[in-house]
This record gives sequence, structure tokens and C-alpha cells, in this order.
Amino acid sequence: MRILNLLLCFFTPLALLAQTGPVSGALMNPSVSLIGDMRGVYLDTAARKFNFQFEEAELSLISSIDPYAKADVFISFARTPEGEYAAGLEEAYLTTLSLPVDLRARVGRFRLPVGRLNPVHPHALPFSDVPLASTAIFGDEGLIDDGISLSWLIPNPWNFYQEIELEASNVPLESPLFSRPDADRYLYLVHLKNFWDIDENSTLELGLSGMSGPNQDQKTSVLGAADLTLKWKPLQLNRYKSLTWQSEIFIARYGTEDGGNLRSFGFYSFLSYQVGERWFLTGKVDYSELPQYEGVLERGYSTTLGWYATEFQKIELGGRHFEGNIAADNTEFTLRWVFVIGAHGGHQY
Amino acid sequence: MMRLVLISIPLCVILAIALPPPSSTAGEKVTVVASLTTFRSIAELIGGEKIDAFAIATGYQNPHFVDPKPSFIMKLSKADLFITTGLDLESGWVPSLLQSSRNGKIQPGGDGYVDASAGIHLLQVPSSSDRAQGDIHLFGNPHYWMDPMRGKQVAKTICEGLQKVSPENADYFAANLKRFEEEIDRRTTSWKEKLAPLKDIPLIAYHNEWPYLEERFGFAIAGFLEPKPGIPPTPSQLVKVMSTIRSKSIPIVITSPYFTLDAAELVSRETGAQIAVLATGVGAFDGVESYYDMFEYNVTALLKAFAQAPHH
Repeated sequence: MRILNLLLCFFTPLALLAQTGPVSGALMNPSVSLIGDMRGVYLDTAARKFNFQFEEAELSLISSIDPYAKADVFISFARTPEGEYAAGLEEAYLTTLSLPVDLRARVGRFRLPVGRLNPVHPHALPFSDVPLASTAIFGDEGLIDDGISLSWLIPNPWNFYQEIELEASNVPLESPLFSRPDADRYLYLVHLKNFWDIDENSTLELGLSGMSGPNQDQKTSVLGAADLTLKWKPLQLNRYKSLTWQSEIFIARYGTEDGGNLRSFGFYSFLSYQVGERWFLTGKVDYSELPQYEGVLERGYSTTLGWYATEFQKIELGGRHFEGNIAADNTEFTLRWVFVIGAHGGHQY
Repeated sequence: MMRLVLISIPLCVILAIALPPPSSTAGEKVTVVASLTTFRSIAELIGGEKIDAFAIATGYQNPHFVDPKPSFIMKLSKADLFITTGLDLESGWVPSLLQSSRNGKIQPGGDGYVDASAGIHLLQVPSSSDRAQGDIHLFGNPHYWMDPMRGKQVAKTICEGLQKVSPENADYFAANLKRFEEEIDRRTTSWKEKLAPLKDIPLIAYHNEWPYLEERFGFAIAGFLEPKPGIPPTPSQLVKVMSTIRSKSIPIVITSPYFTLDAAELVSRETGAQIAVLATGVGAFDGVESYYDMFEYNVTALLKAFAQAPHH
């Protein structure tokens, strides 16, 4: 009977879709929101040092499909290096709501659940400069791919939050560490998330990730990552003070055409302190070795002051100094203005 | 890695099919998770010894802004019943927690999902919606539990939810509901008598969260420290409020435990109006351990502030 129920969970709604007409009305519409990300950027080594640009508009559509699943769709209208705008499907996935024994499946195109930063949309970060290690390993947009994942809340005698997520995906067309081949090879990922309440006001999260997949040289790349996040936020006055310390390390092995392996390391660490009800000050250091090139390294140091007018609008002023042993050193200042219109839900804790 | 994934996925599916689903059976307590402590308290008064109840937000926490910590997902994954404020008060944290809970029983529409706002006569339902007005609530002001008589409707809704997930205890819950209703009627009469001196007296509040208390006990909120809901007090707004206090001889500024006192203290210093920090939920202060205690505390705090106000 349980097998029958499980099968019905998956197939009945699809069967009904063909038999019943759509239900109309505003109440059945998905939650729709649009996020705008505008920037003024000064780069001291550029020929044209200052540019103002509308970086990205992101349209999100989120709704329950039926009692069994919900859908999240994010369409990005992003600025290309040529200054034009291109629409792209950033994420579009279905998440189950009630699989048995604390399982959850996700199917579609989504930001891969490696570490703390990659699953987060850039507008939600407390700085505009994505860590160098992320771009060096995952590319400018982060690691986004079409696939399927299954996660499980692991029961444990201490009853702390422990979730394991297994994921298989198509392999991104182009990312520095992984690249889709013309062969039946795929990208596999496992992520273990552990979360503890230290006390009423403080939490600790420790994540471990492992990935394996093909690269541009038709060989195999392997990535190990660990993330640690400590948050402090007094419950009673949680609108006024908070502190977040978040760090990730990445260790990559890139298989080369000649049968060898290139090993690389990267990390970032940021400390974000809420100075007042609307003010956040964030400092970040990051370091990266490019995974597919031996001996190429980059360092970055940045500070960002953010003013959050409401939960729907923020302005950030950031400065970053970049150092590299191949690329020229540079200093960049960014003024970022982010706004949200529509029904935008809360972000992941 | 591929082998690990290929082995793990079918293993998980087999486990899902083979293991019996967790559910409450006769003799076991019903596991209740409420978004707010106030609903937990009402659930405890109705469910008595038949339930184990937990609240996500504390009583001294701003219910608009609760962090959806993963540890709450563990609680929700085992819940038989989930009670939410409903409307759009908790839209920033309840949906993400529910969807991550993997618990089909407590999803909207499920037998274990209780929207405590069901059947409530709502106040301040806006005729138009625009965020230029601040954090307005599309369905009406969501702080309805601050009226004890509306609390009776909440208790009735929670009772129906408990009866659905634990039908064998339906009579027990119904008997407790009857006792709760009688107790609220008796106490509300007493609270109204005590607060009679405040009838038609204008007051100032930090945030627009008191219309139900105001309607029940007859005082009148004449202005807010926030220029618009959710927008922190500005100097010009405070000047305006101080002028209102002086012109109308307003005796009390009401605020909540989760707002800093800076603005209220400035206004109090300049005008003499007394500050009353009221309990917005059960557990807001020591000794506020039940829904009844919340009103007892607030009545006492209002009367104390009123007695100390220079104009009265």
C-alpha cells in the first residue's frame, strides 16, 4: 500500500493535469518579485575608470504546485561584458514537500549546494565582490547546473540538525574546475550540513562538501570544501545588533591531459558586524590558486559598509584591493544599490 | 563518488518505503509546534496533558523578524500540529521552515496545519496596498491575539485542529475549551473594570500593533513613534508626536520589549508621558507564563504608567 501511495504521490498530479482546466484568480498566482542590482564601479587600472551599470534584474516566481511539491523559478536579465543585456534561466526547480522519512528531492536547474556561499544569490551577500576562490573554482556566476538532488535529515541521539544532500547533475557547460564532455560523464556532489544552537543567541554551522566530475581536459576534477559559520544575534533586540563570521576552504585536484594532477587551495573569511539598526560593516579576506593553472594565485582584501533602508532596499559602499602574481594589482570601489519589489520571501539562515 | 550516489539514492528510497511513517497513536502525546508563544500557551490550555508544545519565537522577540534556524526544522519535522498566526505576519520565516520540514501533515491544507487567524474579525484591512505606506499588512492588522475575546476564537480554532489530529481526545479538548472561554469571559470583565479609567484616553504607541487591545479596552492610539509601520522613528516624527502629546495631554507611550527605548525615553523626558513596555506575547517578561498572565501584566503596566503620568 505504501508503495502504491508513493507512486500516486508522483504520478497522480501529472495525470490530472491533462484532465482538469487551470484554476484562475489572483490568489492562485505565484509570488512574484523583481530584484534590481545597480552599481557604480571605480577601477584604478582600467582605461575608463568609472562606470555606472545596471548589473542585473532578477525575476522570481515561487509557488506551491500542489500538496506534493513547490516550484522556484529565477530569471536573470544580466549585463554582458559588451554592455548588452541577456536573459537567462538562473534557477528553475521543483522541491518535494512531503517525502517520507525526512527525505526531500529537488529536480531542475539550481545553484549547487556546495558550501555556504554558492547557493546564495549575489544580491543577498553582504558585499558585492564575490570571493576570489568562488570565481576561480565555480566561475563568475557560481556553480549552477541541471540535475537532481536528494537530501535527508539524519536522525541522531543529540537531536541537532544534520542533513546530507546527494546530487547528480549534467555538468556545467563551462566552469574553471568542471566542464561538460561529449560523453556519459556527470557531476556528483555530497554535502553534509551540521547546525547547532550554542545558546539562545548564537549558532554554529559546519558543512563538508565533496564533488567529482569531468573537466576541460576530459579528465576528472575533485573538490573538497569545508565551511564554518558562527552567528550571534540577541533574540530580543535582533533588529539592532548581530555578528556573522563565515569562512570556507576549498581544496581542488584538477586532472590534466598528460595524466598528472594540479592541486590548488583557496579560502575566504568574512566578519560582518551590525553596527546599528540599519548599518552593517563587513571585512573580508580571500585567497585563491587557479585550479587549472599551476602557480597562479590571487589575494583580495575588502571592506563594505551597508545601509539597509528596509528589508527591501540596501546601499553598500565597498572597496577591494586585489593582488596577483600574474594579473596586475588593482583597487576597486563599488557603490551598490539593491532593491526588491513584489513578494520576496526570506533567505536561508 | 558515482558509486556512492548510485548506492545511496536507492537505499534512501527503500528506507522511505519500508519504514512506517511516524504518527501519534492512542496514548502518545500530540506534538504541537506554534510559531508564537501565545499560541503555544493557548494550545496548552486546551490540550492539557495530552500534548507537548513548543514555540519557535520567544515571547520577547519581534514576530515580524524571526530567523528560520535549521534547528526549528527538526522540531517541525516531528510535529503533528503546527499553529501559525496566518495573514502575512510571518511570511519571512514560516514558509521556508515549513517547506524544509519534509512534514506533509503540517503543510497548508493538511490536517495538522492551523491558521489561528481563521474566523477572526480583522481590523485595519487596507483598501489599497503599496509599500510606500511602510510595512502594511494586506489582510489586516495581524496582532489579533492582543484581544482576549478574539483569543476565544483562536482557542476554538486550535481546539478543532487538535480534534482533527487526535480525535480520541476530542471531548477532553472540548471540555478544556469551555473552561478557557469561561475563564476569559470572567477575566475580561475584570480587566475592563480595572482599565475603565483609560477609556477614551489617547495614547501613543511605538508600532501599530495595538488596535485589538485598544478596541477591547476603549483607549485610543493617537499616534506612533514610527513615521510609517516598520520605519524607525525619525527626529521630525518625534517632534510631531511630542506636539501631539502636549496638545492632547497624552499620559502614556506604549512600546514592546523588542524595540530599543531611546525614542520613547526622549519623548518621555520632553513631555512627561510615561513609558509602558507591554507584553506582546507569553514569556515576554518573567512571570508572564500564560495567555491570562499576558493581560494581567499589561493591565498592571498600563495602570501603573497612568498613575505616574503628570497630567492625571
